[in-house]
Amino acid sequence: MIVRTVLFVLAAAGLATGALAQGYKPARPVELVVHTGPGGGSDVLARALAVMAEREKLLPVRMVVVNKPGGNSAVAAAYLAEKRGDPNTVGLFTGVWLQTPLVSAEAKVTLRDLTPVARLVLEPAVIAVKADAPYKTLADFIEAAKKNPGALKQSGGSNTSRDNVVRQLLQKATGARWVFISFPGGGERIAALIGGHVDIMVIEPEEAGEHIRAGNMRVLAQISEHRLPGFPGVPTLKEAGFDVPVVPQVRGMVAPPGIPKANVQYWEDFCRRLTRTPSWQKYIADNQFEDGFQNAADLTAFYEEFTGRMRDILKDAGVKIVR
Amino acid sequence: MDILTGLLHGFSVAFEPANLLWCFVGVFLGTIVGVLPGLGPPATIAMLLPLTFSMNPAGAIIMLAGIYYGAKYGGSTTSILMNVPGESASVVTCIDGYQMARKGRAGAALGIAAIASFVAGTVGVLGLMLVAPPLAKFALSFSSPEYFALMSLGLALVVLLAGRSILKALLAALLGLWIASIGTDPFSTTSRFTFGRLELLSGIDFIVVAIGVFALGEVLGNMETREDAALLEMPSGLRNLLPTWQDLKDCRFAFANGSIVGFLVGTLPGGGSTIASFLSYGLEKAVSKRRDQFGTGVIEGVAAPEGANNSETGGALVPLLTLGIPGSGTTAILLAALVLWGFKPGPLFIPEHPDLFWGLVASMYIGNVMLLVLNLPLVPLFAQVLRLPVYVLYPLILGVSMVGVYSASGSMFDLGLLMVFGLLGYLMRKLDYPAAPLILGLALGSGMERALRQSLMMSQGSLSILVSRPISAVMLSLALLILLIPLFGKFNAWRLRALES
Repeated sequence: MIVRTVLFVLAAAGLATGALAQGYKPARPVELVVHTGPGGGSDVLARALAVMAEREKLLPVRMVVVNKPGGNSAVAAAYLAEKRGDPNTVGLFTGVWLQTPLVSAEAKVTLRDLTPVARLVLEPAVIAVKADAPYKTLADFIEAAKKNPGALKQSGGSNTSRDNVVRQLLQKATGARWVFISFPGGGERIAALIGGHVDIMVIEPEEAGEHIRAGNMRVLAQISEHRLPGFPGVPTLKEAGFDVPVVPQVRGMVAPPGIPKANVQYWEDFCRRLTRTPSWQKYIADNQFEDGFQNAADLTAFYEEFTGRMRDILKDAGVKIVR
Repeated sequence: MDILTGLLHGFSVAFEPANLLWCFVGVFLGTIVGVLPGLGPPATIAMLLPLTFSMNPAGAIIMLAGIYYGAKYGGSTTSILMNVPGESASVVTCIDGYQMARKGRAGAALGIAAIASFVAGTVGVLGLMLVAPPLAKFALSFSSPEYFALMSLGLALVVLLAGRSILKALLAALLGLWIASIGTDPFSTTSRFTFGRLELLSGIDFIVVAIGVFALGEVLGNMETREDAALLEMPSGLRNLLPTWQDLKDCRFAFANGSIVGFLVGTLPGGGSTIASFLSYGLEKAVSKRRDQFGTGVIEGVAAPEGANNSETGGALVPLLTLGIPGSGTTAILLAALVLWGFKPGPLFIPEHPDLFWGLVASMYIGNVMLLVLNLPLVPLFAQVLRLPVYVLYPLILGVSMVGVYSASGSMFDLGLLMVFGLLGYLMRKLDYPAAPLILGLALGSGMERALRQSLMMSQGSLSILVSRPISAVMLSLALLILLIPLFGKFNAWRLRALES
């Protein structure tokens, strides 16, 4: 009996190593889960990514985008958690996936409960004012905000968004104080600034570029470690004299929990090959993103550091932290 | 470029055989997507986006825009025939459209919806062509206080949507406002009324409530009264299926109203076609001589909101193309498409890409004609649905409702919610609470709350910001006036009684 069991275990182990040696390859069309409805930022990236994978022949099968909107990414994360061990499902995460579990008790699935695969993109941002605003530098704005606490206004996304985090960091470093007003739509934020209803905003470089060219906007500083190619004359936060951490906006790939190491390696390698293709690099350049590739191990370390810092910043901002 | 030369140039682009074909593909797909509830234009455009990467950008934008405005033509079909609102903007069409169908005038209702869509859709393109840049500047003068005033004006329409009892209408609107508050508070990220369900974190989808309360409530209510198998009378003959000359005459004002209200609201980045359709319905009812018949199947009650819904498309393209600012979900994905094709949408887009802009404008004139030609012959065909006996029709409506809700979100939880709101709709019917105010409250609730809180943050807590800005002050006064109308009526009646005695 014992011999039989040992033999069986050995056979099973042999089979398993055999499978591992062959390596993992998706056999069915792969589901690419995103947390927005069709047309949202992640959805558009996912569809572009699926086309690139096909065009550059990076996958033996097709990639199908699956929309799981709702719960500020909590629904998509929960969906992936349910797919434990599924070899044919991956997801695209963004910064929201990291922040929502910190502030919503209902959003129980964190990135650590899933399998982090790779970081793909870092999105820099710039700080902009209306072209006819009196502030020529970020220091001018901070001075004005100090003179009149609470009178100046910033338009942005939700209070856990990067926009507000940058404000919190600047307020803490300088002692100035201004108001943050949430607008759910990106269009409304820009309309509020160039309509003269708010004084400052954090905006993606690609979006700001056109408004600068048309003479509607002026950029005071860029939220990035290095100057972006599109803004060679604009100082980074550090160069402008504000030594605050650069808060990155991230996008990357995540897999369901409980998948074998070979699968993680496969998807990590897929992401690495993807970021080297010309189509991807053109996409990154067109949108003025930074190539933010990081493998699974580094991404996990990044996640720990990022959420730790986020927790402190949000606590300072008066947001209730639940985990 | 001068408008006339621009337009001529645009027509030369739009009349290229390939672009004509893409225009037709777009409006055809749009019609199908519009007729099917649930799957809306943003989802369709997102799915087709990968295909457009290898297309000529002019053809691609012509096709995607065709889906956008084409879907608005078909949106009214299920509203009129089954009381199932296909999209949020065709909820108002249910009110009079479905009643017309019950009176055997489904063909006239569908026909007038197509004609109003054509007229207002064309006026919307005219507006986009003639006044886009100055209007975009005007739209920028709108900010949170103005949006709050605009939505208050919309909410004041409750008194016009009320049935016999204003109190019941107000209670229904309040319920709608409460449903709108479910989800995550955008300012503090606190969960509200989510009962620990993560599906509720991002709120309840408007269309789930609308389909539940309207369609399911109607089916449940009618099943109880056990209507005869031949539910609705259907006149035979093509002529009786289309609107009459008298119908068109009745709708003269509705065409103008829908065109103008829809276009103006469309240009506002925080507007949207739902508000546009409610406002034009309210305006239509407020100025109508037969105000008391609204809600029983009045043809203007279909023409005005359907027109506004279509003219809104032209308006929504104004901030998108002149400023690179998207207002609605569909324009946001059109913006994403332009970026993916390598364009930089923004204030310089039109002067730098006249081909694309004028080609699009010209194609929209052509597309609207195509849609009219495509939709009018479909009217008798669709109207045949009502020949079905109730034991086929009701399960069909249930099926269409469920598929619609599921295809919009892919969530079983939403199907459960649909049933809950179906029951709510049934109860409201039994207790004689009107459904329209609930939907209006829900449509405006979250936007109104946001606008108010944004305004107060801008003014550091002072309510005076709402009345010190001229546009907002005017709209708030109008809203107050509308709210006082029923009181005037009461006062008049009391005065007459006093005079008699």
